[in-house]
Amino acid sequence: MNFFYSALRLLAFTALALGSALAAADTARQTIARAALAEAPAQRIEIITLLIGSGDESIAPLLNAWKEDALFLYSAPAGSKIPVQLSGDKDEQGAQAATSVDTGQPILAPTGRPLRLIAADLTAVEHNGALRRAMKAVLDLLDLSTANVEKRVRAIQTIGSSQNVEKLPALQARAKIETAPAAQLALREAIALIQLKSPDTPTKLAALKELETLHTIASADPLKAALKEAETANHPSVANAARAALNAVDSHLMTVNFFGTLFRGLSLGSVLLVVALGLAITFGLMGVINMAHGEMIAVGAYTTYVVQNLFGEGMDLMIPFTRIGVHLPGAHLTGWVYQTYFIVAIPLSFLAAAVVGIGLERSVIRFLYRRPLESLLATWGVSLVLQQLFKLTFGSNNVQVSSPSYLSGNWTYQDIIFGWNRVFVIGFAAFIVVGVWLVLTKTPLGLLIRAVMQNRSMASCMGIRTERVNMLTFGLGSGLAGLAGAFLSQIGNVGPSMGQNYIVDCFMTVVVGGVGNIAGTVISALGIGLADQSLQQILLNPVLGKILVLVSIILFLQWRPAGIFVTRSRSLD
Amino acid sequence: MITKITKLLGVGALALGASFGTARAADTVKVGVLHSLSGTMAISETSLRDVLLFTFDEINAKGGVLGKKIEPVVVDGASNWPLFAEKAKQLLEQDKVAVTFGCWTSVSRKSVLPVYEKNNGLLFYPVQYEGEEESKNVAYTAEAVNQQATPAVDYYLAEGKKKFYLLGSDYVYPQTTNLVLLEYLLSKGVPLANIGGGFKKDESGKIISAGKYTPFGHTDYQQIVAEIKQFAASGDACVISTLNGDTNVPFFKEYAAAGLSAETCPVVSFSISEDEFRGLPAKQLVGQLGCWTYFQSINTPANKKFVADFQAWLKTTKTPGIVKEGRVTCSPMVLSYVGVYLWKAAVEKAGSFDVDKVRAAYQSGLSFDGPGGKVTTQKNMHVTKNVFIGETKADGQFKIVKSFDNVYGEPWLKGKFKAK
Repeated sequence: MNFFYSALRLLAFTALALGSALAAADTARQTIARAALAEAPAQRIEIITLLIGSGDESIAPLLNAWKEDALFLYSAPAGSKIPVQLSGDKDEQGAQAATSVDTGQPILAPTGRPLRLIAADLTAVEHNGALRRAMKAVLDLLDLSTANVEKRVRAIQTIGSSQNVEKLPALQARAKIETAPAAQLALREAIALIQLKSPDTPTKLAALKELETLHTIASADPLKAALKEAETANHPSVANAARAALNAVDSHLMTVNFFGTLFRGLSLGSVLLVVALGLAITFGLMGVINMAHGEMIAVGAYTTYVVQNLFGEGMDLMIPFTRIGVHLPGAHLTGWVYQTYFIVAIPLSFLAAAVVGIGLERSVIRFLYRRPLESLLATWGVSLVLQQLFKLTFGSNNVQVSSPSYLSGNWTYQDIIFGWNRVFVIGFAAFIVVGVWLVLTKTPLGLLIRAVMQNRSMASCMGIRTERVNMLTFGLGSGLAGLAGAFLSQIGNVGPSMGQNYIVDCFMTVVVGGVGNIAGTVISALGIGLADQSLQQILLNPVLGKILVLVSIILFLQWRPAGIFVTRSRSLD
Repeated sequence: MITKITKLLGVGALALGASFGTARAADTVKVGVLHSLSGTMAISETSLRDVLLFTFDEINAKGGVLGKKIEPVVVDGASNWPLFAEKAKQLLEQDKVAVTFGCWTSVSRKSVLPVYEKNNGLLFYPVQYEGEEESKNVAYTAEAVNQQATPAVDYYLAEGKKKFYLLGSDYVYPQTTNLVLLEYLLSKGVPLANIGGGFKKDESGKIISAGKYTPFGHTDYQQIVAEIKQFAASGDACVISTLNGDTNVPFFKEYAAAGLSAETCPVVSFSISEDEFRGLPAKQLVGQLGCWTYFQSINTPANKKFVADFQAWLKTTKTPGIVKEGRVTCSPMVLSYVGVYLWKAAVEKAGSFDVDKVRAAYQSGLSFDGPGGKVTTQKNMHVTKNVFIGETKADGQFKIVKSFDNVYGEPWLKGKFKAK
């Protein structure tokens, strides 16, 4: 009962405050102009606070302009000071059109033409943290009625977490007319959070019950505070209700963390799988210890970078060993057409890396098929040469690859975040695994590859051109590394030495899975990913998690030196 | 006749050569430049070499120091910490330089420190560091923790932030800085439960490490970002990041993909300046914060002149290996620049290049109006300077949102802030 009285009092107070603001017959614009002209910061805050509850459309742009130093005091020739906002394009002198904050109309110069002012010549109206908070309070309530649901939800949550009793009426009023389900939930939570602060026990208990049903992560902190308060005030019924609500939140958190970890493990495993699959072919099937595998990944990533720039603004390149710079013109695309660059980049990355791989096979590796140690050293050298070429062509700094919008958002279900880039990599990994499996088992080329890898001399005797098959197999493995590079450009660095970050992980994945077996690589990648993420979740320490994963891999290889799946193949003997 | 003339010419040439030689020895002063020009740190440190050469040229054009032209001796530390000590020894014992400007990483500074103390040399160190050190042989123009990290916390507190998540790369600077920040936050009344990232305690229960750490080259930030998302769910949260180098790219990409932004949970980074920004994804960083004692966007005539002069020098310089396009200025560069001028002022006040005399003059409180405003030297070899907080913009520059004037450089901060 008590609570209702206080709520009524508050409502009355708000109405009064609104009334007094209206009595002054100020529009929102006039109020802001008055605040800008006020001398003392405290006075400004007082005037700005009057705007709370107003839904005037001019408030948001003006207050935002103020916060961004785009509101100025202009000394009119008559001697008075006028608050002005500068907008529109700058001309050669840097001048912009000036509109009066007071009326929203352009200010006219003595000549009768609209006045143009240069921002650098004027002093911006000052603001400090306290004033910005006052503005935020005004904007929050303004945002309660914004058409954008996401923005509205955020505004509701901000009000809820502030637990400010004065804002309860506004939320309750909104709850009556709210139709969007997300906003309705947010309102229920926000109202319950504010009611936690109520001095009235039944209201508090009802609020706790509500929070227990909602069990949102955001309510954990206020609930802990409420529990502490109830314990110190010796209020067992409230404390018990708070405990029950906290338990509900905790069990929800556990579910979120469990499925979240599962998803993150799956996505990390997919990343490993994508980068290691190419190596599973070149090292696993062909037996070439290819230390330049990381650079094949980098070729794919740089291809994506080049395609991005060709779709956009164009780019400058240096031709290595000459002092000649080349300018590649860009298509200057924008919007969704530009964003398709990534779709185009994927097959091109495959091709580029495959071509480089075939070149490497023809020039170096084909002489070293029976000499694994030499191939290790030679490909190590090739990797250094390639890194230097990247440096000479693209510069030694990392380059920027922007993520297209369809890969930079997320889908959140029950507080579990499914980043689109992560969902994409899982699908991408599945796609290339199926693709590789189809190529190896259902195509004539696959048949030849398997024949040559099982027994090179026998295949040769049967009239298979083993040289050509070797070349194509190596190209396929390198192309897969290029695909990995295209994807890695979306989640990490693109730079000359990026390949070095992945090469150890690649070998680890392939060796654990069992050399010569692609199914083994799939299982080991997913296993390592899941183990890594679960250990991080349990230990809350990324370094320790990684160390434990490596230790367990060493132990595993002691137990099964040939990996998960043991392959019998003559080429490996 | 002809032989006479040739003889005369010969004698003349000899005399000229001799006088030139002596003039050269008398009119120059050797100054060491000790930075990594190769290896992993080269990307950052080469810029400091460039700005130092620019400063020497600028001073030499105006008559030098005490009438002597500066003669730089540039050596390469090659991102190899023991090599730094070797090179420092060479500069001091062989080249007998009057002063050295150099080092970027704390570990390189620690490795040359004994050499400078043994030979009574003088080293100017320009890059933000963790403090807890004060040698009479090092002039720290660098930002101390209270000239970068604690002002950033003050800014966040004024913005109404209540929860702080600490994240960093796993080495001495982030670890020490976060311990100081932990004490500072507690002293400001932030409860331990509102400080995220986890704690490590020793047997007695004393916290020995605060915050979350990832190794150099870490690429997978999913778990950490998910943790921050839950940490920030109740609002009013922020992240304080001492992540170094290119680990920022996967972190910020993951951060954006998880729907976190500068609006919902801002990140202030202490290791991203204009120079590092060149290799980062601009779109994902817009609105996030940086905190330094200089930004290129500072709108003063002194800074505009500095930026323009540096760009002009880049165009005309004949030193090989200097990148001329797309160059920016950043805080470590300006602190190198300011360091040279402070040394010059100290030498002129002392009237000598002798290290002890120069140090005495330096400690007496000299001022210089640099691109970032006035800097003043202190008794403890650190400098008082202005601190700025900036929001990153898409063009790689910072918009200054807050400044603190004349912040005293205090290296000893551990145990200074007491919890209420």
